[in-house]
Amino acid sequence: MNDPHQNPKPDLDALFALARKHRPDTSRAEYAFETRLMARLHDRRQSGTSSIWAKVSWRMIPLFAVCVLALGLWRTEVVSEADDTANMANVDHPEAADLLNTFN
Amino acid sequence: MAAENRPDEQLVEATLAGNDDAFAELASRHKSRVFGIASRFAQNGAELEDICQEVFVQAYFKLRQYRRDSPFEHWLLRITTHKCYDHLRKRRRTAPSISVDVMLASGYEPAAPECSAPHPELERLQAALGELSPKERLVITLLELEERSVQEIASLTGWSEGNVKVRAFRARAALRKIMEKPE
Repeated sequence: MNDPHQNPKPDLDALFALARKHRPDTSRAEYAFETRLMARLHDRRQSGTSSIWAKVSWRMIPLFAVCVLALGLWRTEVVSEADDTANMANVDHPEAADLLNTFN
Repeated sequence: MAAENRPDEQLVEATLAGNDDAFAELASRHKSRVFGIASRFAQNGAELEDICQEVFVQAYFKLRQYRRDSPFEHWLLRITTHKCYDHLRKRRRTAPSISVDVMLASGYEPAAPECSAPHPELERLQAALGELSPKERLVITLLELEERSVQEIASLTGWSEGNVKVRAFRARAALRKIMEKPE
């Protein structure tokens, strides 16, 4: 027995024919489309250039890291050399050496 | 020669040589066909604009891949078909399908009245099409609403002709089932 709530068999071919006849009117959407498109292309090209820079910067990160490490090592060595020189200077001044011994 | 009198292939060459006006002319020449197909899949004016812009943006950036063995329009419609399919898949992932009745009851107004169905039977058909899978909707729209042949659909989608026929048959059966469902 047929379900009374069920919709009658749809005539798909008739519906498709109706849909073909009622093609959506896109004339309003098409208006000045080229202008909007060219503006978007311009934006995309610009963002494309900036993304190239972003990519290059990311790839340079290991190089930057090595530079920072090398700079850090160099600075540590320079500071320790300066400390050694200062200590030797203290030995030349016995009062300063006494003061250091008091603290040690 | 003025841009509007030049054949598509010359405009493609000019675009590749850096002449953006040539591409604007190509867009102007073919936008109606692209809008025509995309309007079958878009829910409102904003979506329609989005799909069409994506089609032409991709065409612009992939213009070097266009081989001159088929007309430019055919190549462009292939991009359009893929963009519409991507759009259907994206919509299915992000939002569940809502029937037209529910949308209207909740106060929804289409952004572009020109995209809405002018007939209650067509609204029912559109709601039913919205419940199909993206592949089913694509094939039934191209075959029944756009009146493309199986061979053309196979060429536009990249599916085999047998696959198109099977999908069309299943899509029709699914559509009939959805439309017979009690409301």
